[in-house]
Amino acid sequence: MNMTKALLEIRAGLTVGIAFVSVLAFRFVGARAAEGGPAPAPNIVVPADSEVVGVENAVLTDAPNVPPPITRSRATKVIVHLEVDEVTKRLADGVEYVFWTFGGSVPGKFIRIREGDEVEFHLHNHQDNKMPHNIDLHAVTGPGGGAASSFAAPGHSSQFSFQALNPGLYVYHCATAPVGMHIGNGMYGLILVESKAGLPPVDHEYYVMQGEFYTAGKFGEEGLQPFDLDKAVDERPSYVVFNGAVGSLAGNNALTAKAGDTVRIYFGNGGPNLASSFHVIGGQFDTLYADGTMTNRLHDVQTTLVPPGSAVIVDFKVKVPGTYPLVDHSIFRAFNKGAIGTLTVSGPENRLVYSGREGDTIYTGKPIASVPATLRAAPPTKTEAAGLNPALREKCARGKQVYMQTCFVCHQPNGLGVGNQIPPLAKSDVLMSDKLGAVRGVLQGRSGQLTVNGKRYNGTMIPFPNLSDEQIADVVTYIRNSWGNSGDAVAASEVSKLRKAAPALAANPFE
Amino acid sequence: MNTSKLSFALAAALLVNAHLLRAAELNTNAAVRSCCAAKEAGGLRPAYADKSLYQVESQWTTDGGKPIRLRGLAGQPQVMLMFFSKCTSACPILLNDLKRISAALRPEQRAQVGFTLVSFDTERDTPAALAEYRQAWDLPLKNWTLLSGHSDDVLELAALLGVKYRKAAAGQFAHSNVITVLNAKGEIVRQQIGLHEDIRETVQTLGKLVRN
Amino acid sequence: MKGTSNIQRQAARPPWRRPARFGRWLRVAGCGLLAFVLNAAPADMVLIANGVYRPMFRSAAEPKAVPVKAFYLDALPVTVNDFLGFVRANPRWQRSRAKRIFADESYLNNWAGDLDPGINAPARSPVTYVSWFAAKAFAQWKGQRLPTVAEWECAASASATRPDGENDPRFQAQIQQWYSRPTPAVLPAAGADTANVFGAHDLHGLVWEWVADFNSALISGDSREGGFSDRRFFCGGGSQGARDPGDYPGFMRYAFRGSLQADYCVHNLGFRCAHDL
Repeated sequence: MNMTKALLEIRAGLTVGIAFVSVLAFRFVGARAAEGGPAPAPNIVVPADSEVVGVENAVLTDAPNVPPPITRSRATKVIVHLEVDEVTKRLADGVEYVFWTFGGSVPGKFIRIREGDEVEFHLHNHQDNKMPHNIDLHAVTGPGGGAASSFAAPGHSSQFSFQALNPGLYVYHCATAPVGMHIGNGMYGLILVESKAGLPPVDHEYYVMQGEFYTAGKFGEEGLQPFDLDKAVDERPSYVVFNGAVGSLAGNNALTAKAGDTVRIYFGNGGPNLASSFHVIGGQFDTLYADGTMTNRLHDVQTTLVPPGSAVIVDFKVKVPGTYPLVDHSIFRAFNKGAIGTLTVSGPENRLVYSGREGDTIYTGKPIASVPATLRAAPPTKTEAAGLNPALREKCARGKQVYMQTCFVCHQPNGLGVGNQIPPLAKSDVLMSDKLGAVRGVLQGRSGQLTVNGKRYNGTMIPFPNLSDEQIADVVTYIRNSWGNSGDAVAASEVSKLRKAAPALAANPFE
Repeated sequence: MNTSKLSFALAAALLVNAHLLRAAELNTNAAVRSCCAAKEAGGLRPAYADKSLYQVESQWTTDGGKPIRLRGLAGQPQVMLMFFSKCTSACPILLNDLKRISAALRPEQRAQVGFTLVSFDTERDTPAALAEYRQAWDLPLKNWTLLSGHSDDVLELAALLGVKYRKAAAGQFAHSNVITVLNAKGEIVRQQIGLHEDIRETVQTLGKLVRN
Repeated sequence: MKGTSNIQRQAARPPWRRPARFGRWLRVAGCGLLAFVLNAAPADMVLIANGVYRPMFRSAAEPKAVPVKAFYLDALPVTVNDFLGFVRANPRWQRSRAKRIFADESYLNNWAGDLDPGINAPARSPVTYVSWFAAKAFAQWKGQRLPTVAEWECAASASATRPDGENDPRFQAQIQQWYSRPTPAVLPAAGADTANVFGAHDLHGLVWEWVADFNSALISGDSREGGFSDRRFFCGGGSQGARDPGDYPGFMRYAFRGSLQADYCVHNLGFRCAHDL
């Protein structure tokens, strides 16, 4: 009994002593002040807050993992070491990109602290990097969110401290000029400042962050792709992805849960330009912490808008096994640019919540109102499939692509034209007797009267000089071999000769 | 034909001349170098710590007309400011900050601290102009040093202090606002950045550097 | 004017190599005549003709364009071999002896020893991990100096085909591409690229370069502070704006210079020398 009391007293004494000593020690910690200009200033004294007890090193994780929840009930001093690495990594299959990262990956490390914590932030710019970098954390109250104080050249570190005054899920990003390029190259991440009360526990916590990439090549074009400034300024990304790469949350990297689990996703948007319409297909957000705040909770939300530079926390319970894609519901981004990930839920079925397909049968409804003959889609013509040599068939196939992108609007998919303005191409005597005239028509346009198959037409055809010689040769070959037409091919060289000989064209309406 | 031969000969002569000049240059460098090498070989131990500003060889002139190297400031802590006399915006505030720091020191501390002002304006801030400045701003004769120098040396000192500056329009200089505290050995121990800042920490630092 | 025809002749030069003997005598004669009026051109330097420098950051009161007098600039960045000669002749600049105030702990970090560059610093690659003080000392030792920002930007504004490279979108794209590529651990030899119209190589695409007044842009680390100036930290900056927010390469050079201290030694930062006419 005495022993225990003595031990308890010793322990209390030690705690107080250590706290006292550590508070004293931190008064003499040096720091580099860099407000307004770099200068070596070793003796900046960070005032000590009596509410803050102890010191610990922050646990940082890579997406999709999250550091463990905060369990302490006191604010503490947290030391964060974050290294900037410019690394070449996979952006998509066969596609590589030089990412500028906080911690070696996109998004950057997840930082988890508590309201009231004092953070001593060290930013290390790896010596092999090309660029200077800094950091703006949206959780920081102070100039630039830390940017002015964290600027570091390659091979150098910077340090500053801040107090986490506001709880919430915040974005951080690099703010070195040109900012758009630094963010566009992947320099963003999330910092979670838990409220004093903390978040309710869940079975799984995941970290997902959306961002766009602007590459010189198109989506999927292989090789090491450089950043494309024009696309970035015009907000035309080649890639919109989660966690820095196409397929980062697919296959073996899919997020997982069991039926009956609660899942929490810390979802951020690094931008640089696009807002995300975050949605989980097949689910709802049971609880949504709007804009990453701890206090503004919504329930039963289907899709949430997350602007660039913002974040959201979503909690949901998965009840039915299956595949639940995470998407940006601006849907072309999901299916054509990579903004899709997977949450795989395993476990027993729950037929009451979702039955799955219960059956399918034949169905016959009333006939739909008939479509005028001229506008009915033409059946595929035999000449396209058979009777052509392979080279000609290929040419026609390419020509058909051009036709169905451009010409069909006026001349119709069945080549029959419209009314008195647009002459037909099918079985057209003018078309079949004057091959080069047709090429000239595509190049220079045509207006005024034209008699085709004995009928008079009066209209205007706009020129298409933007089509290449190949494309024009292909499309004219195609129309001269479709809908009952049969003629010889047009060579690209014939088109280029005509193009050179053509008089100066009127302004191209497409430019 | 003759003219081209002449110009060819001229060109050759000039080139030889140029090469000779260059060789002479290199020789001089060699002489200087060998002198310094001897000194280094002789093992002259550096009198100043590795990070002391007083290791530079630059020559300056005080407003009293005295030639001085920076190491002439050694021996007491220095509060250093880079400024120029014709500045109409920040420098008067910075000078006032220096005065506030001086006033906040106890008399026995003040006697041990130097205040050094170095001008960016090498053309107009001659020693005479700086002497006028000292009078106009009522700066004490003792412990306050005003320095005029060459533009190369000003560039070097600014680089050492981490001060950014450039010549702006109308003879003005755009510069960062930095007050630096050097210890007696000439090492930077603290920098105060900004205008009309809180001087308490600077005063505290100086207090630790002097004998109390 | 003599200067302009010189530039036109130097357009689209192949990668650097010593010219043929006959060609050299012709150039000697030409240079000799030029040298008659001016000083002799130092070896391995090119003439950067009179130009105009448009500062990236300036206050409203400062001129938009600053004339830059013609000067000589090294055709190549200073190489490891050049620098080896310098440290041999100036032992106080050897790695183990350099003062920390003049060069930080990373000085000549990639060299194997004081007088041994080693495999990570090939002889003909640009010397890096050198501080501003070291670069200045080298230039002085050679009887030369560092170029100013204005001079460097003037020289670097030319592409391989035209003096006004900012109007050459392919040139701008090429520079952009360099920023999208990682820096190789061992730098390649200088002079492998096509020279610009002045005859200078590697002003883009190899290493960043020190300039004499690297600390002349009054920008802080946070590039978004409205107009890059804060009266509290900078005197006389006025309200500066950036000349061309779309000139990303220019931005990056200014941002990089703004992050430097004079004693910094960085793995992809080298320098070259300039000389007055």
